[in-house]
Amino acid sequence: MSARDIAGITLINHWQRGVPVYREPVVTPTLKVLAVIAVIGLSLAAARLFSPLSPFSGMNDAYAWGIWKTFNVMTLTALGSGPLALGLAAWVLNREKLHVVMRTALASGFLFYSTGLIALGIDVGRPWNFYNALLPWRWNAHSAMLEVAICMPIYCAIFLAFETLPMVLERFCYTGSAQTKATLRRLFPKFRRIYPFMITGAYVLPLMHQSSLGALLLLAGNKISPLWQSPMLPFLYLVAACVCGLGFVVFLLCIACLRYSRPLDVAILSELGTLLSGACFGFVFLQLADLAIRGQLGTAFRFDEMSVLLLIQVALILVPGIALRRRAARETPRTLLNMSIFACLGGMLYRFIPATIAFHPAPNATYFPSVPELLMSIGYIALATLAFGLAVKYFAVLPGNIAEWNYMFRRIGRTQQPVLRTQ
Amino acid sequence: MIAQMNRRQALLGMVGIGGSVALAVTAGAEEHPAHPVAAPDAVAMLYDNTICTGCKACMPACNEANGLPPDTLLSGGLWDMPTDLNSKTKNIIKLYEEPDSSAFCFVKRQCMHCLDPACVTGCPFGALEKSGWGAVTWNSSLCIGCRYCEVGCPFDVPKFEWNKWNPKVVKCEFCYDRLKKEEQPACTAVCPTGAVIFGKRTDLLAKAKERIAGSPGKYFESRVYGEHEAGGTQVLYLSKVAFDKIGLPKLGSTSLGHYATKVSSVVYKWFSGPVLAACFLGSIIKKNWNRHEAERPEREKASGLRDQL
Amino acid sequence: MVAAPFALAITDKLTPEAVAAELGKAIRPPVIWLHFQDCTGCTETLLRPSHPDLGDLILNVISLEYHETLMAGSGRQAEQALTEAMQKYSGKYVCVVEGSIPTKDNGIYMKLAGRPAMEVLEDVGGKAAAIIAMGSCASWGGIPSADPAPTGAVGVANLLPNKPIVDLPGCPPNPYTLLGVVLQFAAYGTLPELDHERRPKFAYDRDIHEHCPRRAHFDAGRFVKQFGDEGHREGWCLYEMGCKGPDTHAGCSTRHFNEIPDVWPIGIGAPCIGCTEKNIAFRVPMFKVIQIHTTAEPPTTYAPIIAHQGKVSPIAAGVVGLAAGALAGAGYVASRKFSNVPDDESIPGSTAPKDSGNTPGGPGKDSASNR
Repeated sequence: MSARDIAGITLINHWQRGVPVYREPVVTPTLKVLAVIAVIGLSLAAARLFSPLSPFSGMNDAYAWGIWKTFNVMTLTALGSGPLALGLAAWVLNREKLHVVMRTALASGFLFYSTGLIALGIDVGRPWNFYNALLPWRWNAHSAMLEVAICMPIYCAIFLAFETLPMVLERFCYTGSAQTKATLRRLFPKFRRIYPFMITGAYVLPLMHQSSLGALLLLAGNKISPLWQSPMLPFLYLVAACVCGLGFVVFLLCIACLRYSRPLDVAILSELGTLLSGACFGFVFLQLADLAIRGQLGTAFRFDEMSVLLLIQVALILVPGIALRRRAARETPRTLLNMSIFACLGGMLYRFIPATIAFHPAPNATYFPSVPELLMSIGYIALATLAFGLAVKYFAVLPGNIAEWNYMFRRIGRTQQPVLRTQ
Repeated sequence: MIAQMNRRQALLGMVGIGGSVALAVTAGAEEHPAHPVAAPDAVAMLYDNTICTGCKACMPACNEANGLPPDTLLSGGLWDMPTDLNSKTKNIIKLYEEPDSSAFCFVKRQCMHCLDPACVTGCPFGALEKSGWGAVTWNSSLCIGCRYCEVGCPFDVPKFEWNKWNPKVVKCEFCYDRLKKEEQPACTAVCPTGAVIFGKRTDLLAKAKERIAGSPGKYFESRVYGEHEAGGTQVLYLSKVAFDKIGLPKLGSTSLGHYATKVSSVVYKWFSGPVLAACFLGSIIKKNWNRHEAERPEREKASGLRDQL
Repeated sequence: MVAAPFALAITDKLTPEAVAAELGKAIRPPVIWLHFQDCTGCTETLLRPSHPDLGDLILNVISLEYHETLMAGSGRQAEQALTEAMQKYSGKYVCVVEGSIPTKDNGIYMKLAGRPAMEVLEDVGGKAAAIIAMGSCASWGGIPSADPAPTGAVGVANLLPNKPIVDLPGCPPNPYTLLGVVLQFAAYGTLPELDHERRPKFAYDRDIHEHCPRRAHFDAGRFVKQFGDEGHREGWCLYEMGCKGPDTHAGCSTRHFNEIPDVWPIGIGAPCIGCTEKNIAFRVPMFKVIQIHTTAEPPTTYAPIIAHQGKVSPIAAGVVGLAAGALAGAGYVASRKFSNVPDDESIPGSTAPKDSGNTPGGPGKDSASNR
């Protein structure tokens, strides 16, 4: 049988600590392809900084927000809310097992957020005025956009970065010079002292900006289909972030184990599955209750374009919620993977649809991202994936067995290295 | 599930929560009232499409007063022929043709200068603000080009210069420079038939209602559009055909700013929501962190390795 | 314009026979011209054209039997000419009426040879083949009918509603309008197509505003605000000075007067007073600005209520479709590599069964044995 709590100390079968990926060359064909896509996207992004927006995007006055804001920021940062969801589960709800997989969540979350913020920076039309963010007397406190524009960078650059630092600095405890090691040894206790305050901030700030991402859409009023426009939008966006965050962590762990040939750990995955199931049920309940209270349940079953989209989205979240209630299902790898994919897709759909497909600003207006816009968006995602693919090899991110841990980290620059096992 | 709190903490928590909520609720209410009231010196435009002949004199007058070039894209460079408000057109006359009939009428579209504008509510650094006499103006040194104003405006008014590297947000600003010189806006000054006139909002509302009373059945629904729409606007419309047929959307009488900030103005008043959350979560996290740290030596002994953060 | 080609053709010839041959079957139709409450302006206006000029007209084109201003005789001689013409050409002559007819107090306010105008009209007009009401006064009463209309002045059609009448309102009307009607009658014996107010459509079917040379100024919003201001000197639109052009049907904006271009009221800077329209001329003050009621179809270059925005690039759609398909496929393939068995912690994608012991090291236990 796999791990169970024994004498108050949790013994886990396969996932006991973060272990770098050893038996893989750093540069693989996949990473090469991702690098090419990332370079294309980033070159276009750099070019866009010296050019008006119209050659690079299909946005127009009716659809003033393209996929950079609605997908790379609104949708992908939901997938990047793993640190929030897992962090709350681990530190507030006391799910001790989840500490081991926090690093995976943090790495992916940090990369989603930072590439999302790059996308946002390239998207704004007058970035040179952003210095106004440093002048609080110029802030419009009523604006959800202000909240997002200030809270997200602060979160990503300070709190999320702080949470991600340990895994980055850890390698230097082993590969650094004696001076570096001494500095780090002095640093870590200070780190530990402020850690609880920093992670409190790291959970309060996403509560604010993930809900503000939903609050952004409140101002659009009737332009958003009544199936989605609701005063509950901010709260539902927050819960969707938790659904996506949890779902993506499960998905990422499974895919990483597949890719890097690591065994799964059903206890932890099952724990995540329980949380995911709860989050899914919570979300669907809240969404349906909101529809019922606003009298839109009838509209939801009209089976027109909006209704079908909504039903698909609800189904994509409800099915994992139901399926993962059974312990056997939660402990079946394929079910876990499939259900996590569904939950992620459902949550992503919920975050994406009100800002785009259900947004009807004017009768004859259409919008579809142009090719450069798509290439840039895909480029940011490729960059995040590439960075993750490299990070798991250079840092101890993915959970593995203690027996695998060999105190060694790859040196940068050399590809395949013989792996020594020393104490 | 949640770590046990002792009675003192619970009491403090409740007082804190209760007090903050009370303060926030009472203080947050006036920011975006459900039914905004116009300032006493609020100016307005009254447009009556039973008088408008579609001469479009207001369009070149507006372009000239605002230093905008004509939009000659569709006319092969010959004359100003925009199909909608855009980055070169702050004011436009549109034609409505009744289907299956030769009946038609015109409508003048420009910024509605709402009493509680959605664009002003959403603009992060206040680049769009309600200035003197209620005109909604744009300040280029505060705008970051996020285009939230375009997303929020229920009338789809603000337009963005997509094809410029230094893009402006372009919309009617009530000829604010002319207002400061005590002149009327260019469009109302040039209108030959008096289809669009300028005056104080109270006066123009009264005049519009006089016209309605004087010609029963002439004006659609015998009411003024903009009196209450989206909380009230400073551009008022009288029309002989249905307002939504001429592109004026059906809107409720509460402002979008009110709807969008109903909850957030309470939660974020004096930052009470986040502070409360931080205190609440922080106390639990600190407790769990302390326990986690206390258990660390045992864990490290059992696994033989340093604990990973 | 009907008159010019006819006239040019006619006046080249000098002899009546040549004219007759040119005109065809009609031979110099007899015309009786009556003056009632008039200013003789409508006769004066005939002095201006040169195609044909007045001499050619009355000597070669028509047979002017009675015209108080132009005829040589007067007094009883004139009376006699009238009576003889009426007898000789009864039912064949054209009666042109200039001036309005008083009706109050049995019409005593205008008498011709002691007979009230009403009686004369009934007599002369009654025997005419057609009546042309020349000028606004004859068409609908003109100036004498302006408030308070002390003489009860009316136009011809009010008194002889059943005769074929052609109204040529104007103060005066353009002489070529009359010439066109007369020449058509002379050449073909027919009257031109008339509108609902008995006005020939060729001259009165459009309003001044439609063809006004100053229309561009109206469309661009350039208006004269005061007589003598800069706009007035520049020749801008006179709408704000009370021009009645938008509501006035006449051909003046294309056919100017005195055969000199731009010699017409608006052309010399005086707003149109709407002299052809019975609801406007001498009723609505000259400088009162009127409402414009667009009766023309609006042009197609107006912006529609709903404009089209945005487009879908097919390549982009293809890219998205491909990416979505690829991801879905990859997802499916990946999921097949995961075990379908509960509690299986083996490495995904490995072909080993769940309890093969392939799982690398560590304090793990055989899954099967620990249930």
